[in-house]
Amino acid sequence: MSPQADARAGVGERSEEEGPAGRGPDSSAYSLAGSRADSPAPVRAGSRSGLRAASRPGRWWVAGAVLLVAWSLWGSGIGREPVLNPPGWPSLRSFFAAALSPDLSADFLRRTLDATLVTIAFSLLGTVLAVLTGLVGGVLMSEAWWQRGGRAPGRGAPVRGPRSRAPGWLLTRIALGIPRGIHEAVWGIILLVILGRDPLVGILALAIPFGVITAKVYAEIIDETPPGPYDALITAGAGRLLAFVYATLPRIWGDLLAYGFYRFDCALRSAVILGMIGAGGLGFELITAFQGLAYERMWTLIYALIALGWLFDRWSASLRHPGRARWKRTSLLLGAALTVGSLLYLRPDLARLVSARTWERAGAMLADAIPPSLPSTWADLLGDAAATVQMSVLAIVVGSGIGVVAAFLGVHQVGDGPVRAAVAALCRVLLLTIRAISPPVWALLLLFVVLPGPLPGALALGLYNAGVLGRLFTEVLETMDRRPVLSLQLLGAGRITTFVYGVLPLVAGRFTAYALYRWEIAIRETVVVGVVGAGGLGRVLESQRASFDYSGMLTVVIALLLLSLLVDLASASARRAWR
Amino acid sequence: MLTRRAALARLALTGAAVTGVGLTASCSTGGGDGSADGGGAGGGSGQPLRISAIPDQDPDALTEREEAFAAHLASVLDIDVEYVPVPDYAASVSLFGAGDLDLVFYGGLTGVQAQLQNPEATIVAQRDIDPSFTSVFIANAEAGVSPVDSVEGLSVMAGKRFTFGSETSTSGRLMPSYFLSQAGVAESDLAGEPGFSGSHDSTIELVTSGSYEAGALNSQVWQARMEEGSIDTDKVIEVLVSPEFHDYHWLLRGDADERFGDGFTQQLTDAMLTMHESEEGRAIAEFYGAQSFIPAKAEDYQQIEEVARELGLIG
Repeated sequence: MSPQADARAGVGERSEEEGPAGRGPDSSAYSLAGSRADSPAPVRAGSRSGLRAASRPGRWWVAGAVLLVAWSLWGSGIGREPVLNPPGWPSLRSFFAAALSPDLSADFLRRTLDATLVTIAFSLLGTVLAVLTGLVGGVLMSEAWWQRGGRAPGRGAPVRGPRSRAPGWLLTRIALGIPRGIHEAVWGIILLVILGRDPLVGILALAIPFGVITAKVYAEIIDETPPGPYDALITAGAGRLLAFVYATLPRIWGDLLAYGFYRFDCALRSAVILGMIGAGGLGFELITAFQGLAYERMWTLIYALIALGWLFDRWSASLRHPGRARWKRTSLLLGAALTVGSLLYLRPDLARLVSARTWERAGAMLADAIPPSLPSTWADLLGDAAATVQMSVLAIVVGSGIGVVAAFLGVHQVGDGPVRAAVAALCRVLLLTIRAISPPVWALLLLFVVLPGPLPGALALGLYNAGVLGRLFTEVLETMDRRPVLSLQLLGAGRITTFVYGVLPLVAGRFTAYALYRWEIAIRETVVVGVVGAGGLGRVLESQRASFDYSGMLTVVIALLLLSLLVDLASASARRAWR
Repeated sequence: MLTRRAALARLALTGAAVTGVGLTASCSTGGGDGSADGGGAGGGSGQPLRISAIPDQDPDALTEREEAFAAHLASVLDIDVEYVPVPDYAASVSLFGAGDLDLVFYGGLTGVQAQLQNPEATIVAQRDIDPSFTSVFIANAEAGVSPVDSVEGLSVMAGKRFTFGSETSTSGRLMPSYFLSQAGVAESDLAGEPGFSGSHDSTIELVTSGSYEAGALNSQVWQARMEEGSIDTDKVIEVLVSPEFHDYHWLLRGDADERFGDGFTQQLTDAMLTMHESEEGRAIAEFYGAQSFIPAKAEDYQQIEEVARELGLIG
């Protein structure tokens, strides 16, 4: 294995170990950049976890998880009270029937195109700003920048790794958790009040949380790069910037780019949700069409979203192949051109950032919000927090369940027959579709057939996450080491034996890591299904937004931050125990 | 030769190019676009009058109505008028406060919220139908609720799954909640948490489907859907038309005179109150389901404010 591939493998593992705080899939997005073809990075992580899954601490975590799921199921009312509403099927059916007759009038197609451009522009500018923040922040946050820069030649190699910075580790994690732990939609609500009607709202609502995540991931990529060439330049007397640009950057820029693309994919989906709260674009059109129960129009918009998702999925996949330097450069130029185009199209008014009115409104909002006030009672707040956790747990259980099935059906290998290939293609389209329908829309749709309560919200998040997880799981299966399977088959093992001993141990660890990573995100996403009276903190936040109760909002945002921190820590230790 | 400049050039080539170009371009765009007045939206002359309305119905009908209204105002007042669509009620109030909307057709509650946040704003007018607005309570046919003839009768809603419309809708949430409480049914006496369907049409759909056993909405929308014949009367029944209350009105920003010239507020008010005198104006009023627009005053919305405070809808 080349040192390069080795480093990549390290990235994959370390990210997982530390808990993909905004990583899991992220790590795959960049670790695959260099390793998809030649390095069995995911496999190494997977096989180890597989072998030790039965170790003692792992068993405790399994027991804890089972209890948590049981408690969440109890909270949803399943088995205790009726939860389904069969008479609502016709309403849901008429929504899906409309898929066959989307509104294709010239007028509406023009509007859809317009909205699509707005959504692309928002996502792109948000991502570009996040990547810029990530580059600067990532370099500044990397240990390589600080440690070796000031190191006198001849002194021993610096001690690195998470343990060496244990005192600062938790603090850093908390500090970075704040912008990241606040959902884009909440940033959007805050920025809309302060900045008013300007594209800046959507751009910044994406760029703030994404920028922090990107910085963190970039810092890690930089630190996982073997330091030899960088050290050599430093020793030769080069400055840190110069050494970084010549020695480190050329080796990692493919990874940085791949991760940027992954972020863009996330941004596209978030931009839709932001559109629903005022940023415009496809989200705005989608939710207003829904309010008018114009299903045919909704499908036109959903198809636009699917096409968009597919297009960028293909694009970023094409960049993950090693080599193809020219195509990468062309993509970069294309991205730059699109960025300039987006700026000209949206024309964000940067003067707003410094205008007196903005600061006045920000000050007024802060004055309103501080000190935070209790929405009702501590007991209510705790109850809502518990409901939020239950919803997120159910969402992940449902999402992983569907995701695993879809991944095994959707995995496509060289040499598959036409039937197998067709099933795989169908699965991918399905996953793309359920990802394209945003959680709030899913929630409102499910409300036709599932009685109100936490369940429709949890199922909505579950379906949406199935779309995301299914894709990640498929990737794991496709990059899996086939050798154990082949050798088992050659030894005459049956299908089930091959699956249980050849496939499962390799992928179970990765699947679990991804599911745990999405759990943390699902906690934040409960905010966007709050609209359906699903209970939990999202519901509280929604009514506070409606009544402009900023001090109550602050309390709920803090509560959500704490929850997301708890889940982050829990899932990080679960993953550690699991390996 | 390894120089700092060469290093930076390389940096630009390999990745930061995108962001570099982006930032430069955004600076130049931002600089050229509206930064002159320094105060964001405020202060600039030659800006159009930005009108808007809360999204309480089919967006196409809304756009058609507001654009017709914009065109009419533009011709009568001889200024540029632009319609700005907004996705939800709260966003509309926020944008009014941020100075990005000048004249908004608010519901009773959103109007009160916007007025409280912007005390200098002026109530311009209301429709002739607004002083006697009503909500309608509906129920799923299977829910075991029969029509009642007084507000007290609404006590049948206790223990039912009940959905309102938008959270800050006057006829879809505020007043229905108030009438329910008069019948002794607090929001906490409903089965589970009350729903917020997001729109009057969605309320009808959700009650028809049976997910919610009952709901309340704007009578105007209910009537219109009845006339269209789009309601399945086997599945959903009318329970009660509520007593009358004040609802929609137009709110104008307090800095309108400053921006559009002294006396603008008066000119606009006059234009609206005399709208029904011209053929074209009557057509506009008809878009709003009205015959004419009439004067409105802050006291008309006192009751709404009180109820809103009780429900904690005013922060």
